[in-house]
Amino acid sequence: MHIDIRHEIRHDRMALLGILVLALILLMAVFAPLLTPYSPTEYTGRIFNPPSMDHFFGTDSMGQDIWARLLFGARTSLLVAVSVALIASSLSVLIGASSALVGGLYERFWMRAVDVMISLPTIIVMILIAAYFRPSLPLLILLISVFSWPGGARIVRSQVLTLKERMHIYAARTFGADQRHILKNHIVPDISPIIASMMIQDARRAVFMEAGLAFLGVSDPQIISWGKMMHQALAFTYLDVWKWWLLPTGILLSLTLVSLSFLGVGLEAAVDPRLCRHEHEQGYDHEHGCDREQGYDHERGVDQNDILDQEDEIGLYEMEQYEIEAHENENAVLMEAERC
Amino acid sequence: MQNNGSKRGGGILSYLIALLTIFALNFILPRMMPGDPLQAIYGEEALVAMTPQMEAHLIELFALDKSWSEQLIAYVIALFHGNLGFSYYYKDDVSSVIMGALPWTLLLVGLSLLIATVAGVILGIESGYRRKERIDRWLLAGLMLLGGLPDFFLGIVLLLIFGVSLNLFPLSGAITPYSGLEGLGLLMDIARHLALPLAALVLVDLGGIYLLTRNTVVTILKEGFMLTSRAKGCSDFCLRYCHAGRNALLPVTTATGLRIPQLFTGALFIEIIFSYPGLGLMLRTALDARDYPLIQGILLLVTITVLTANLFVDRIYQRLDPRVRYAH
Repeated sequence: MHIDIRHEIRHDRMALLGILVLALILLMAVFAPLLTPYSPTEYTGRIFNPPSMDHFFGTDSMGQDIWARLLFGARTSLLVAVSVALIASSLSVLIGASSALVGGLYERFWMRAVDVMISLPTIIVMILIAAYFRPSLPLLILLISVFSWPGGARIVRSQVLTLKERMHIYAARTFGADQRHILKNHIVPDISPIIASMMIQDARRAVFMEAGLAFLGVSDPQIISWGKMMHQALAFTYLDVWKWWLLPTGILLSLTLVSLSFLGVGLEAAVDPRLCRHEHEQGYDHEHGCDREQGYDHERGVDQNDILDQEDEIGLYEMEQYEIEAHENENAVLMEAERC
Repeated sequence: MQNNGSKRGGGILSYLIALLTIFALNFILPRMMPGDPLQAIYGEEALVAMTPQMEAHLIELFALDKSWSEQLIAYVIALFHGNLGFSYYYKDDVSSVIMGALPWTLLLVGLSLLIATVAGVILGIESGYRRKERIDRWLLAGLMLLGGLPDFFLGIVLLLIFGVSLNLFPLSGAITPYSGLEGLGLLMDIARHLALPLAALVLVDLGGIYLLTRNTVVTILKEGFMLTSRAKGCSDFCLRYCHAGRNALLPVTTATGLRIPQLFTGALFIEIIFSYPGLGLMLRTALDARDYPLIQGILLLVTITVLTANLFVDRIYQRLDPRVRYAH
């Protein structure tokens, strides 16, 4: 039941690579003022300077040091990632778990809300709202969080639905535990691997959305953001400056996003065997049973055999295999969510 | 199965609520802004350009001097007339401005949907069939990496490599202005301008559909009926496409519904990068000029398109899968 994420991740090279890159970017963000003598908003007096010892990545059209802006941009991206991951996944857990536990009209209301929010094209609604409010950083974080919880809530709900029928939860209930106690002491610890994987996905989406909105020019102009830098730099592709302005910014943003994906995929792979075990022990979906579901059950069974088969194989292949499993799992999780 | 049936009906209800949410946002957001509603709806810049007669006309049209409920009624009536407001920047009705840009976006999105689906399914089938071989590994790693990149950066990289450095493709626009080309020449010109944005959008989109097909094929290959068809002497090609490929179509259809919103938002970004004269570039102009009615109109149109497409895919899915059809 309880799987150790650290143990699972340790064998996943892609996830390790992701963690390494993220750690480097985190160091950049934390020690930003030590790594550059310039302030990211300061006018250095030199415009469009090529890279030199003074300015590692030259200066931009406003005479600002690009390296300094890259460092402080990392702060924005990571701050948005961490805050949104925390807020959105808390919302997912609260709403998903309480829906499953309370049931009735309350559950129907939230699941309808989830359906509606999932069918809305999120980025477009966010652009609309941002166009009016030009959100500051806290508002932006809140806005992204509000649009990020529904998918997670669905998954949490379906997990809690299966969990709450299990023996140890029954036992806790007979000892007089109330819903809140069960949620806090039994359910959240049990679904913590799923929450972790959810948080990474939320973080990835948040980084992308922040950069995307800034790239469109609809965030607060005072935020120093990679998306904003790309927005400014794109106007000067006819000069050589893109080599040290546009490209490094885009690469840094892509590195962040790709390492978050790798980490997320690794976590999902770690989460899945548990999903399988559940499915077979509980058979909770027998009432919805139709061919489609059986197909997916079967698929999952096959996957597990795959994992066992491949344990003795090594190298690049193995690590890619994890990706495949993970993606199959993603589908499985999606289906799982859809089913309930 | 009754459960499933009610879920279908629920799907439509969800789409309707989503649509209403968008209308509500469009109505409420400008009226939440501080200051004069006309200024909030049209932005400060617009007021400078407006004549007093026009102001009076707009106030009357949207009942801006009346109560909220009357404003709501006026708003709904205007919507039913297809009146999305007036774009001060383009000095024309929003609906006609949008209609000018829409074909380019539809061309871009439609073509990339088609190409990405066909290429993704074929690559997925071939790769799944050759699972564990070298080509499969490379495809998997490469497309996963591509899928992880933000779509606007991929567009920028293509622009920098093929447009700026190699100078192979035009940097902006959809046709060469004042070239006076006709017939085949015009077509070639449009294709040359379309190539890079299309490539960017397809590359972003390809990964998901490829992975899905590949995974489905890998599972299907282990099914009993595959062994049967092999035993009765089906050719390799038939095995791959008539049996495995056909079964892989279902999840691909479901995924298409999820891809359409992504394609549209992707197209918005990519049009901006390549200055492709579709809705995305127009959105960028409108955002810069704070031409709020135009922003609202574009986003409303994209939302409606996305919701309709999703509803459509839901329906197709039922028709496509005999098991789902018989279940009702």
